[in-house]
Amino acid sequence: MEARVSAITTPRNETAPHRRTKSYGFSRRSLGVELTSHFGCTPGQLTAVRIPTSRGIPKPRNLTEQVDPEHVALIVKKEWKLSYVTPLYQFRHTQLQSYSKQLASFLVAEKQQGVAVEVGQELGFKVVFTAALGLAETEDDAETVLIQIQSKSAFAAEGETAKVVWSGWLSCVSGDVEYLKALPPDFTCLPLFGTSGAESLTTLVMSWFERTFDCYFGPLGINSTNLEWLAALWTGCHSDTNIRYLKLAWTVPAQPPLDVSYTVHPQDAWELWDSIRQESGLRDTVDIEEVNCFIRGLESHFFRHFRIYLSAGTLTKVATSLGSAHKDGKIRIASSDMMTSVLALLTECALLKMPI
Amino acid sequence: MDDSAKQVLRKIIRRIPSNKLQNILSKWEHLSKKQFRSLEFTQAKWLLCDNLLSLCEENDLSMKHVTELEMIYRIENPAQGSWNVCQLIDPSEEAVTVDSLTFKDSFKAHLKHLISHVSVKMKKHEDNAIWIRIAWGDNFTQPNHLNPTYVVHHLQTPYVFVSGLTAKHKPFLHQALIPSTHYGGLKDVHLSGRCLTALRDLLMRQYKQAFPVKHPRLLQEKSPVPSHPNIETEHAKHTEKRLQMAAEAFGEGILPKLETAVYKLETRFRENGMPGRREEPFRGVVKFSSSNLLESLKNCVSSGMASAPVTPLLSSITQKGRNYFVITDKGPGVSHTQGRKI
Repeated sequence: MEARVSAITTPRNETAPHRRTKSYGFSRRSLGVELTSHFGCTPGQLTAVRIPTSRGIPKPRNLTEQVDPEHVALIVKKEWKLSYVTPLYQFRHTQLQSYSKQLASFLVAEKQQGVAVEVGQELGFKVVFTAALGLAETEDDAETVLIQIQSKSAFAAEGETAKVVWSGWLSCVSGDVEYLKALPPDFTCLPLFGTSGAESLTTLVMSWFERTFDCYFGPLGINSTNLEWLAALWTGCHSDTNIRYLKLAWTVPAQPPLDVSYTVHPQDAWELWDSIRQESGLRDTVDIEEVNCFIRGLESHFFRHFRIYLSAGTLTKVATSLGSAHKDGKIRIASSDMMTSVLALLTECALLKMPI
Repeated sequence: MDDSAKQVLRKIIRRIPSNKLQNILSKWEHLSKKQFRSLEFTQAKWLLCDNLLSLCEENDLSMKHVTELEMIYRIENPAQGSWNVCQLIDPSEEAVTVDSLTFKDSFKAHLKHLISHVSVKMKKHEDNAIWIRIAWGDNFTQPNHLNPTYVVHHLQTPYVFVSGLTAKHKPFLHQALIPSTHYGGLKDVHLSGRCLTALRDLLMRQYKQAFPVKHPRLLQEKSPVPSHPNIETEHAKHTEKRLQMAAEAFGEGILPKLETAVYKLETRFRENGMPGRREEPFRGVVKFSSSNLLESLKNCVSSGMASAPVTPLLSSITQKGRNYFVITDKGPGVSHTQGRKI
């Protein structure tokens, strides 16, 4: 057929009516997660990692009974920059001490720009790898690993505690069972990597992991759907712990950019969330529809006053006193009670983001 | 020159960026031409500061002169810290005839009468604004010159701009300002921002305003229009209307530079089809921020990211000259009640 483009009619969308290739394979990315790889190009396993449309009600879990409180204290309160990491090849939880020495020597060597250093000499840096046992939720989850880099000053007095200059952790909480079971036995899956400290050290640690365990790191953003889950998850906790406030922040792409923050009174936010939950019948799971309804409700209350479409912008941050999350992949977990629920959600993000 | 004056001078020099230092010092009339020329502005700041200190010793300068230097810098660069605006109310007959000299004397006298250890310095700026620098002390301490309060007042206008004022010293300032300007009272207008001239322009309506008219004239197109001629005709009317409404609400041309606007919402939650309907207000605080808030809001309206017409809540920023509001359901329409600054 000849394509006749008249000057009077609006030009028609001239794409082919159906693309068959779309009918399979891509569905798991359908909820707004960026497409990071094409199935055809990846030789790995086909897995059925999907974005869940409903989750169990997060129950506050008293971690201090199962996990060393010192380990918990290392994770809470700090702000972490998140990355995803592909499964680690031949990583052993029993070898942590040797990894400490290797990474320390690697750091020194890199700092001295290629000069060879004897293993175990640890000039300048001390690295501590620890396993935070008990954070895992299922038996397929690998135990969380904490890493600390301490800087040793050459002039430090005897007995002076070294200063922690960088910390990070690798974690897997309630990872997708089917995916974890499908991994070959030599791989350990710790897909979530949080770092806090100098960017240059983060890069060095990543490159050491990439060389040693044949893995790959990539930045992990938190998309608006997941930010909304977190907002609902934290708001739901208000009946147990006072969340003090619920703050949502958007950026609207005006010229110059407009930042909008909406801080809701905790009790009112909780009552709205609770009424949505009541409406859909109290079940053990929270549906994505309920989360949507909650956020859309807040947005339309905002719209009624200011007549600005927040949907034109992006949700950039959600925060309560229990923690905060930023779309660029920054997270702060202020309360150990909800730590496993948050880590489970982030583990899921990391698994989805990972090239298969 | 005593130690505290030296300390304050060092602090001030540290605060002034190197590229502005020469200009600021040239306006400070306490160094001879020869002395000024002896200063090397390419030197490291601490070295320059040492040389400057020895010159000050030579000229026997004191704290009074040092604070003058700070004032010169602050007047040239007012966008430091946040400025709050107060409005004088109930003018008496003499209010229109106050001249700067009597104001200066009367303000100083009133303030010193209220609080013993206080250092006041005043300077009349080119645009007829009177700049007042107040370093506060109390009964037992000397005035703290490191954290002074700055007050800017244009005589014969009801507005007073204040920066760096603590709640403790607020009543003193108010009690000194009211009689010396011959007004009856002073109230907070709930407007704040970093750019002093923007606040002044907003309140004194010194920006290009657009008024609602029956036959709107064509505003200059600022946003690029879609290229296809049909789309253009289809949307031209809407675009024009949106631009007109945006300009009516926020003004035309260069808009005063505000950074934030805060709304405390205490209105009922009544979304259709939503379960959360109830009688009590749904409490929350909405804060808008941008490098130029009025431009951003105007752009939202003109680009269609905000639905027209502009809500009175947003247009109140320019029309009422405020950027802090408390919104409740009471009364007909939306009321803007007085609220404390948060």
